Amino acid sequence: MNLRYLRLTALAVATALPALPAVAQDLRIGLASEPSSADPHFHNLGPNNQLRRNIFQSLVGTDEQQKLLPELAVSWKPLDDTRWEFKLREGVTFSDGSAFDAYDVVYSVCRIPGVPDSPSLFTTYTKAVTGFEVPDPMTLIVETAAPYPLLPTEFSTWGIISAKANGVDGASIEFSADGCGDLAYPETQAFNDGSAAIGTGPFLLESFRRGEGIELVRNPNYWGDPAPWERVSMKPLTSDGPRVAALFAGDVDFIENPPLQDLERINSEGGLKVVQGISNRVIYLHMDHAQEPSPMITGTDGKNPLKDARVREALSIAINRDAIVDRIMGGVAVAAGELLPAGMFGAHEEGQMPPAPYDPDRAKALLAEAGYPNGFGITIGTPNDRYINDAQVAQAVAQMWARIGVETGIDAVTASTFFSRRNAFEFSVYLAGWGAGTGEMSSPIKALVATRDGDRGYGGTNRGQYSNPEVDDLLTKALATVDDDARQELLRESSRVAMADWAILPLHFEVTPWAMTDKVSYVPRVDQYTLPALITPAN
Amino acid sequence: MTETSIPQTAQHPVRDRMLWPAIGVVCLATIALALGPDWASLPARIVLFLAGVALAAQLLKGRSRQFFNGPMAYAATGSLVLLVILALFANEISPQNPYDLRQLDIMDGRLPPGATNFDGSFTYHLGTDEQGRDILSGILYGLRVSLSVAIVATLIAMAIGVVVGIYAAWAGGRIESILMRLVDLQLSFPSILVALMLMAAFGRGLDKVVIALIIVQWAYYARTVRGTALSETRKEYIDAARGLGLPVRKIIFRHLLPNCIPPLLVISTVQIANTIVLESSLSFLGVGVPVTQPSLGLLIANGYDYMLSGQYWMSMYPGVALLAIVASINLVGDRLRDTLNPRLRK
Repeated sequence: MNLRYLRLTALAVATALPALPAVAQDLRIGLASEPSSADPHFHNLGPNNQLRRNIFQSLVGTDEQQKLLPELAVSWKPLDDTRWEFKLREGVTFSDGSAFDAYDVVYSVCRIPGVPDSPSLFTTYTKAVTGFEVPDPMTLIVETAAPYPLLPTEFSTWGIISAKANGVDGASIEFSADGCGDLAYPETQAFNDGSAAIGTGPFLLESFRRGEGIELVRNPNYWGDPAPWERVSMKPLTSDGPRVAALFAGDVDFIENPPLQDLERINSEGGLKVVQGISNRVIYLHMDHAQEPSPMITGTDGKNPLKDARVREALSIAINRDAIVDRIMGGVAVAAGELLPAGMFGAHEEGQMPPAPYDPDRAKALLAEAGYPNGFGITIGTPNDRYINDAQVAQAVAQMWARIGVETGIDAVTASTFFSRRNAFEFSVYLAGWGAGTGEMSSPIKALVATRDGDRGYGGTNRGQYSNPEVDDLLTKALATVDDDARQELLRESSRVAMADWAILPLHFEVTPWAMTDKVSYVPRVDQYTLPALITPAN
Repeated sequence: MTETSIPQTAQHPVRDRMLWPAIGVVCLATIALALGPDWASLPARIVLFLAGVALAAQLLKGRSRQFFNGPMAYAATGSLVLLVILALFANEISPQNPYDLRQLDIMDGRLPPGATNFDGSFTYHLGTDEQGRDILSGILYGLRVSLSVAIVATLIAMAIGVVVGIYAAWAGGRIESILMRLVDLQLSFPSILVALMLMAAFGRGLDKVVIALIIVQWAYYARTVRGTALSETRKEYIDAARGLGLPVRKIIFRHLLPNCIPPLLVISTVQIANTIVLESSLSFLGVGVPVTQPSLGLLIANGYDYMLSGQYWMSMYPGVALLAIVASINLVGDRLRDTLNPRLRK
């Protein structure tokens, strides 16, 4: 009796299934790394920025090649040397129903510098702004102290939140670069629990639970083409094996960063496919240029050998970058000689800045010359779940350094721990990655190499505390040069100076793969973002 | 009442014989600790091995027939001895020192079992992992890390447990309730969870793994010792010793302690196996030993990412080694329990 009933139910369910169109509108994504918060201004970090783009938008958008697109602004132009005019999109509403206008942009810029406990602020991208004018609610004039060619690019990197939804009357904001007075801002926690997650993007945040997953639902009032998915669940599957297993098992439809060794197998499996494209992300080693004694260096009687450029050069040429690309990255990466791939704005042409040549003998000679004939001990800090094969790359570097007599250990920890320890300057050498948010050279130079200077927004991620006035001057000059060719030459020169001083050791550029069922398709993006609104059902 | 009227030895279940193994265990632990993480000194390791053999012989003196009661006992003991020798003399046996990064070559990464390096001078019998680490050497060294961490942590935890347990039993009253409630509290947390939290707080490192394992384990011993000590203190030989006016120190060390040790030895063997599994789990989860000094758990974790790509050897062989060591320790522990426990003795 029971059995018959079960069979009947099963039959009924089986016949009813094809009639449920909602199933096809759900997308399940396996994330390789998890955002640290849903707050769009909390942490300038790839996974956070990726999540942000689903919910909060910018004035300017970017396409898959990082070319600028109109987003919440329909057009922009420089009025004179120090003023840019943005014409805003009409008829855009936030998800609480309030209308979007220029005051929301001002409000967002006001909040950015003051987010409490932020590990990495977005001020890098708002420092240039000295004032706003709002002639009418749909026109925004941005003032800068000096000519600032990157303004539209930088306005594509942070999300806009609503002033009205947070109880602030936009017209009453008095903007100044030092602060906007006593305004009410939502707390980071309010974004995480969803109550402040009020944006203009194609999706609404339904829930954000660390370690468990993120649920997005389609924004029914979105101003653009509606997202192809009714519901998107993003699940953090930070271990490679389980992530790819989930794709094979059909638990998810789409995964980020499938492990390189599995690409062939995914492609040969029926119903699955891989797409890949070069990224703007450089994997680099940053060295402690300031602390003495440096926390993770032994055998030098308290001296910090990394202050000596000869030691830095020795460490760089001891690394066989081609071997890392070939063996650890499975050929799916490009060895790096500077901080941005050849051909992008401010980077050199192919072959002009080749990777540092592998020469262990010369490296040993350099170490001896610098007074360390027997090497020293050092520990590389690295995340083990943030970049493609990050801990393995660090181990390979450790191997190569050991060969020139530098006893190297590895301190591999999960990304969140890694970043908080790095920001506390606990590492003498650390491995990390930088995706050029703006798609041109000033981004890595400004963030990673320029002298740390909170007022100018320089060196925000320069946790090795490198400082070279020549680089700073070239960067400052480039950032004030509106002429593209002249600016490009200044950026190239700043890159050459930094590389010649071995300020930072670039390892390789990541090539980003995505794997998915063949029922969906995705165009690879230079910025490595996985944006569900652009994942399309393949027909 | 005269001294001769108390047939003390007749009442004494174990007599002083157990004291010597206990001292032996402590000496072994001291040598093991003194060897440090590199285990470089060959003479020290030989002494350690001989002392271990002598200790085992002392334990089984007069009981060997009872212990080796069937083929299973022989097989388990044989495989345990073999694995211990492999681990102890890994420096001499293994073809590569997997902790010396200079000996690894990433160009030899992910080679299948039986492959050779570029000039054919080195054969990787069990293949290599993605760093070019010889899996066979990795297993031998990993076995030693897993075993030594587990044994040292177990012995120290046991020592702490014995002190706390006997003190609680002897002192009684409020001290006993406080100590035992502490034990209950400790035992009510799953040990893997506590160990994970501790490791997250401490950071990676062999010493830190040992400390975390001690913290999650001492309570088992404290509870067992206290139970045994309570029942022993009510026995006649203790009354007799008290009646003789022996000092407390002497009663505890000469009479009470030796009789509390047999049940301890039994749990500790089983506990060593559990500790190995716990250490492997911690390393597998990425909070245990440093990545450049893999234990069995970390070797399994390293290879885990490649399981789906058909490169099974990186995880499988360390897994088999882990299985073998845990199974043989458990079987030997079972035999020891049957042999040493007076209540089970026929």
